[in-house]
This record gives sequence, structure tokens and C-alpha cells, in this order.
Amino acid sequence: MLNRVPTFLIAIVLLASAALAQSSPAPALPRPGSPARAARAGVVDLVIQNATLLTATHGRIANGSVVVRAGKIAAFGANVSAPAGAIVIDAGGKYVTPGLIDAHSHMALDDDVNEATSPIVPQMMMVDAFQFASKEIYRALAGGVTSAMLLHGSADMIGGQAVIMKTKYGLGRDQLLFPNAPRSIKFASGENPKRVFGQRQQLPSTRMGNFAVQRQALLDAQDYVRQWDEYEAKKQKGDKDAKMPKRDLKLDALVEVLKGKLYVQIHCYRADEFLTEMAMAKEFGYKLRAFHHALEAYKVADKIAANNVGVATWADWWGFKQEAWDATPWAAVILMRKGVRVAIKSDSEDQIRRLNVEAAKTMRYGGATEDEAMKMITLNPAWIIGVDDRVGSIDVGKDADLVIWNGYPLSSYGVPEKVFIDGELFFDRTLAGYGLTHFAGTPESLPSPPGSGDEPEAEVR
Amino acid sequence: MKNPLRIFASFAVVLFFAASAFAQQPSRAQETRTTPVAIKGGKLLTITHGTIENGVVVIENGKITAVGPAASTQIPANARVLDATGMTVYPGLIDSESHLGLTEISAVQSTNDLVETSDEIMPHMHVADAFHAESDLIPTTRVNGITNAIVAPASQDTLPGQDSFIQLAGPSADEMLVVRDIAMPLNFSGAQRRKMDWQSGRGTYPTTRMGMAAQLRQAFLDALDYQQKVADSEKRKGEKGVQPVKRDLKLEALLPYLDGKKPVVLAASEPSDLETAVKLANEFHLKFILNHVTHSRPVLDYIARLKAPVIVGPIYDFPKDNERYDAVYSLPGELVKRGVKIAFASYDSHQVRNLPYAAGYAVAYGLPYDEAMKALTINAAEIWGLADKLGSLDAGKIANVVVANGDPLDVKTDVKHVFINGQEIPLWDRQMELRDQYSK
Repeated sequence: MLNRVPTFLIAIVLLASAALAQSSPAPALPRPGSPARAARAGVVDLVIQNATLLTATHGRIANGSVVVRAGKIAAFGANVSAPAGAIVIDAGGKYVTPGLIDAHSHMALDDDVNEATSPIVPQMMMVDAFQFASKEIYRALAGGVTSAMLLHGSADMIGGQAVIMKTKYGLGRDQLLFPNAPRSIKFASGENPKRVFGQRQQLPSTRMGNFAVQRQALLDAQDYVRQWDEYEAKKQKGDKDAKMPKRDLKLDALVEVLKGKLYVQIHCYRADEFLTEMAMAKEFGYKLRAFHHALEAYKVADKIAANNVGVATWADWWGFKQEAWDATPWAAVILMRKGVRVAIKSDSEDQIRRLNVEAAKTMRYGGATEDEAMKMITLNPAWIIGVDDRVGSIDVGKDADLVIWNGYPLSSYGVPEKVFIDGELFFDRTLAGYGLTHFAGTPESLPSPPGSGDEPEAEVR
Repeated sequence: MKNPLRIFASFAVVLFFAASAFAQQPSRAQETRTTPVAIKGGKLLTITHGTIENGVVVIENGKITAVGPAASTQIPANARVLDATGMTVYPGLIDSESHLGLTEISAVQSTNDLVETSDEIMPHMHVADAFHAESDLIPTTRVNGITNAIVAPASQDTLPGQDSFIQLAGPSADEMLVVRDIAMPLNFSGAQRRKMDWQSGRGTYPTTRMGMAAQLRQAFLDALDYQQKVADSEKRKGEKGVQPVKRDLKLEALLPYLDGKKPVVLAASEPSDLETAVKLANEFHLKFILNHVTHSRPVLDYIARLKAPVIVGPIYDFPKDNERYDAVYSLPGELVKRGVKIAFASYDSHQVRNLPYAAGYAVAYGLPYDEAMKALTINAAEIWGLADKLGSLDAGKIANVVVANGDPLDVKTDVKHVFINGQEIPLWDRQMELRDQYSK
């Protein structure tokens, strides 16, 4: 792979910024109140030029351009010319990737990640706890993340329903929600549920308890379906005495699981538990979308691949608990080579800020190609969330969620310089303050340094 | 530093045993522990005298004996020549704070010996007494080119105990614990406060920062008092009725620090905590190294004037909500710009292997590359008083040498050879074993 010599890198950055500074007096970037609004309305196009494109679906394109029209990618490639009147951004020496996507996050949920008062809480809607103004979203955006799935925690066997969002920091809550994204629900298994409830002397306190609780909940849902079916049938026949069953939010949600209306995202570590979860899904007739964390998934990779279940995992986390002891950083590539769609996810307000570095680890451990590593933080998580037809690659017609990096992103050194979502600039590292375009606040003014007066110099031995 | 030299002398003796433990590689069966090794053709990052393209490093009897350009560096006739063409060769990396050997599986309490929280003042806790040399975490760390580390207790106490400096290979804990009790952390972040329950009115002292400071001050005063008593009793030894002072391990443990013989590692993040800790240290004439300074951007010039080295990070700590997103990433660069000597630390156990990438990330946010390399090698060696033994490719130093297929700080780079004490360490760990078992 590219062997980046940092001085060379720094030179590139300097050249690039010089190029950018010289290209035109203050290039008009799409900020609020700027021509970008017009671009968004489809009047004026936006073109990012001279960049190395890492498209995720069409490999690497040198000296490439991306044309954005009305918030979508209108064209891209090496031989694309700027439409007349377009806003031009010269990204010479820089890289452009699709916006990164995190299929497993709990950011912007404060302490409201787990409703751990019962092991079955599918009626919890994470959107009700979503703190859209949390700076965690800003920091993820500055790391190049443009979409994320915010999941319920893993204290419960069946948790709540996820928020699918774009990191449009500075806008209102509903403007951050990913429009018309499929809904996902969180399941869990293993150590967390059994520990949380077991330490209160409640069911479940073992893995057999875990699955018994889950199976019972699904059986209750089947029974609830039957009650409604009977009621509907009676009503059809004109039975005036037919008694409408009582609506139960919890069972309503489980029925949606049974009917395949919710993507099931399962927190699962140990090899045997993937098998049990897949067997239970088969037994009850629902589909699993992805296993999350999945540190032992590589041990049963063939079976996971055969069931078309994705895996959202870390590049190299291990050893933090017993069920994480058999982790190996080669797992992502082993799974991929056996046909599993693998996403590298953060599950962390820290690592969501540098998913690119985490994905690059798969190139080192197992030899993922550049395209494969890119897909693990773009197209594959998009598939896990169910939005791969709209985001996750540089393709015509997709949302113009794009990141301009000042260096090679699949390395220790790539830093996002500009982040566009739906064709609009949301983060620009070169701006003062927070570097945000839709947020008026500025970092708190710094207090005057102590010890600057006549205080005696500190003594050091 | 008082005794590292003596320790290293005994260290050289045990090399013999270390060598026999690592010399069992069948492919080199005919070679012995005394066979010199010449790493030839690689790009040498010497740290102390620049980069040498197409260089040679000669290792003999556990030491580096020659470093220079291939054209002018003599290779002993009986040497095993390791072709490092296209490779990068650099000194073993040093983690300036880890918990290696103190934990195995974080959530399994029986595997943890991280910190004694029954009291806040525990200077008589020696991590060397808990260090688990056979930990599975150590092979996983050294295969990434980290050859040395500070092992520190976790930071829940203001004085949690004493650090050791380890080598990441050796026949047993005795040899791996290169310098026991090398330094003492003094943590002042507020996280060391004990719980106060206002409803019941119950709490365990200290529940406030003023409590922490008062308790520390009292501990140092008690130790000075104890020292005086011991000295008085020594002076009057043999006089009638004079009893020797009963040994007090806790107070005794503080004396080398009060005497300025060993450094205290002052850990604070906020400017206010930093100043309190520095004032306290100065009051008792402690020699100190600063640690973290995560949120001290407003006082970087003050830090520079202290002329103390800084272990900086973790640079992945979150900035505060009122700080820019890169406020902590760029801290190493800002400190170096002001002439501060910095070192990096993982502050971790399982992920010590990722230490070089943190340095790489700091480079992305403004730290000059050479300074990043120094912060992982010679700066750390200097801070810990071991610069004559470690931290660069220089003749005479202990042969902790790494050969990798690229830039040590880049996440894609694969480490190909690791030498510790001049012995090549098998690049093998539990995770590779699992990989091979399941990737057929």
C-alpha cells in the first residue's frame, strides 16, 4: 500500500491549501444564505474537482470530479467537466470519499441508552431520548461521519427502536432524521442481559434464561396476533359482540418483528449464540439484519453468510469481558472472505470520530483492499441500516454525502477537511471556531493564563 | 535516578537465561544466543542521528554494536544477516503509562489487580508485586513493536502506589521488571474523591478536592516527621532506653520522593487541578513529570515554564463541549511548539498495541513527525532516566529493535521482526492462533 511519508504529506497539505487559496477569491461554499441554497434548490451545481475519489463501488479514480445537483450526486469521474455556473471546489491533492456511516452508535442519547427495568422493551423509541444538539454529533461529523444508527443498549434481550440520522449538526431534530429509513430494533444476548437482571435476582441470570425470556416474548406476540386475527374475522362476519383486544405497545412492536417490518440488529458475541439466534429467527419466521460486536462470528462465518446476516464489528477490540476474550483483529477479513457483509462500527463516541483509521486496520490485519476497507465504513453499514440505495458510495443519484480529506483517509493521517450532507456543507475545518456552518456558537473564550503576572516562577528539581 | 544502572548490570547477567528461552526457533537451530545479527538494507530511524537509508544495525550479546550506512558498516563474519530491504528499522517503542500485567479480562474482577481503593494514600503498593509476566496481553502488545512500558496502578487514588518499568519479554517477572518503583503517580483530577451521600449525611473523607489536597499534605508531613524520628533514633542508637522507630511502610514509601530521588507523576487535566498539584509538589520539593494536561490548553505557556516533561493524552479524550473538536488531538503539537518534552502513553492494557497510531494521529493534527517518533522512544527513555540504555538506534544501547514494512505510526504498517535484548521474539500471539484455527 501507499507508504505515506509525513513530510510528503505535509507538503501536499501545504500545496493543496495554497492551491485552494489561489483558485479564486473566497470560493463560494454552500453555507446558509450563500449560493449553496441555490445549489440545493437545483439552480446552481456544486463541483468538487481534482481529487482522488475513493468511491466504494467504482474503485479509486485519480483526478476525479464529483458534480452535485439538488443535493444528489449528478455525475462523477475523471472526465467530468464543471457545469457552467457551478460552485467549484478545487480539491487538488486531496481525497474524496462517501460520507462515513456508523451502524452502531449510542451518541446523543445521554444516559438514556438502556431501559433496563424489564428484559423486553421493544416499545422504547430512541427518538424520544435523541439529543439532537449534543456535541457528540458535531465531533462525529468532524470525523467524516454523515449517517449513523443510534441503537438501544444491550441490557435487555429485546430493546427499543433505533434512530437513523444524518449528522446535520445545527439543524432541528426532525431535520437530522434520515428520511424514510427502514426501522431497526435492537436485540441482545449473552453477558449483559444475564448480568443486569441476574444481579437483581431476576430472570434472566443465565444464557438459557436469556433465550427463554426472548422466546416467551415472541410467543406472547404470536398469541396477540391470533387474538387480533380472531377479532378481525369475527368483525368481518358481522359479529357485533366481537371484543377488540386491548392494544399493547410492547406486543405491537414484537408483531412488527414477526412480520418483518423491523430490521433486527442483535448484540451478540459468542459463537453458539449466533446459531441460537438464527435458529430462533427461523422458528418464528423473522429475518435478522446484522449481528453487532460479533467478536466470535468468525468461528461460524459460513453459517452467518448462508443466512445473509451482516456483521457490524470493531477492528481490534478485545479482552474487556469474558465473551470478548476470543476476539482476533483478523475477524473482519475472515468474515468478509467467507461472504459476510462486514461493517466496522464504533459503539463509541470516541471511535466514531475516526472510523477511517479503524477501517484501515483491516488492510493490515488480513489484507483487505482499499475498496473493501472503504465499504466497511460506507456501503456495508448502509446496507445494515437499510439505506444502501441512497448513501454509502459515490454513485449517480445517491445523496451527496461527501467528505474531502486532506490526506489518505485509510491511514493514521487522513483528516476530514470538509463534510457535505445532501450537497450542503456542514463542517469545514478551515473555518474558525467550531468549524461548523449551521451552528452560530463559538468555543468559549479562553481564560487568561495563570502565572502570567508576578507570581514566582514554579520551582522544579 | 538512583539504581537503574545497577539493575541493568544484573539485567545483563540474566540475558543469558533470557536468550536460552528465546533461542528455540528450529529454522535457526544451529545459531546460538551469541550469534550476532545484522539487520541490513533497511531505512533506519535512528532517532538521535537522523534517518539512514540503506543502513545496517548490528546486534551482539543483547546490545546494539554498530549502526550506520550499509556501505561503511562492518558486519561480523559469523552474523546472521537479516535482509531488511524496503523495511523501516527503529528502536522499540516505549509506552509511558500502561496497566500491562495488572489485568487480563477487564470485566472479570478476579483477573484485576489494578488499584487498591481501600485508602487514597497507598504509596506502599508496588505494581511489581502484582505484575503478571505471563499475561496474554504482553505478546499481543510486543508484536506491534512496543518493547517497553511503564506499568502504573489505576488512578482512583491520589497516591495509588509505585510504577515499574518493564521490558516486554523475558524468562520471568524478575527480568521483565527492569526498574521497580521507578516513579509514583500523584493523581489530582477529582476522580479520586470519595462518595458523599447528603441524604444520610455519610461520606468517606475526602469527598472534595480540598479534602484530597489536605490529605496529601498531611501524608507528606507525616512522612517528613517519620523521617526525622528515624534519623533521631539512628543518631541516638545505643543510648539507653532508645528504641528503634517501628517501620511504617506507607510513610517509608514516600521518602525517596520527598528526597527528590525519584519522580512523581502529577496527573491532572484541568488548569485548576494542574496548578493545585504543581503547588503541592513544589511545597514538598518533589521532582515531577506532568501527566494528561488534557484540558489545559489555556495554560500551555505556564506548563512550558514549569520545564517539566509531559506525558500527554490520551489524545482521544473528549474535548469539553465548549472546546473545538480537535482541542485535544492538537495538544501534543501545541506543547512541542512551546519547547515541552513530551511522551505518549496508551493508558491502556489490551490496546497498548495501538500506541503508535495515537502518535500518528497527533501528527495529523500538527505534531512534527520526528517529534512524534521521539515521544515514543528517546523522550520516554530520558524521562524515565534510561536514555543511556534505550530509546534510539545507537551502539551500546540494549538491542530493542523493530523491523516493519513501513511507517511505524501508520495503522497499515505490519511489524515483521521484533528484537528484545537482542533476541528475536516470535511474532506470535493468541489472536494469530485463533486466526489460523478458523480461517482455513
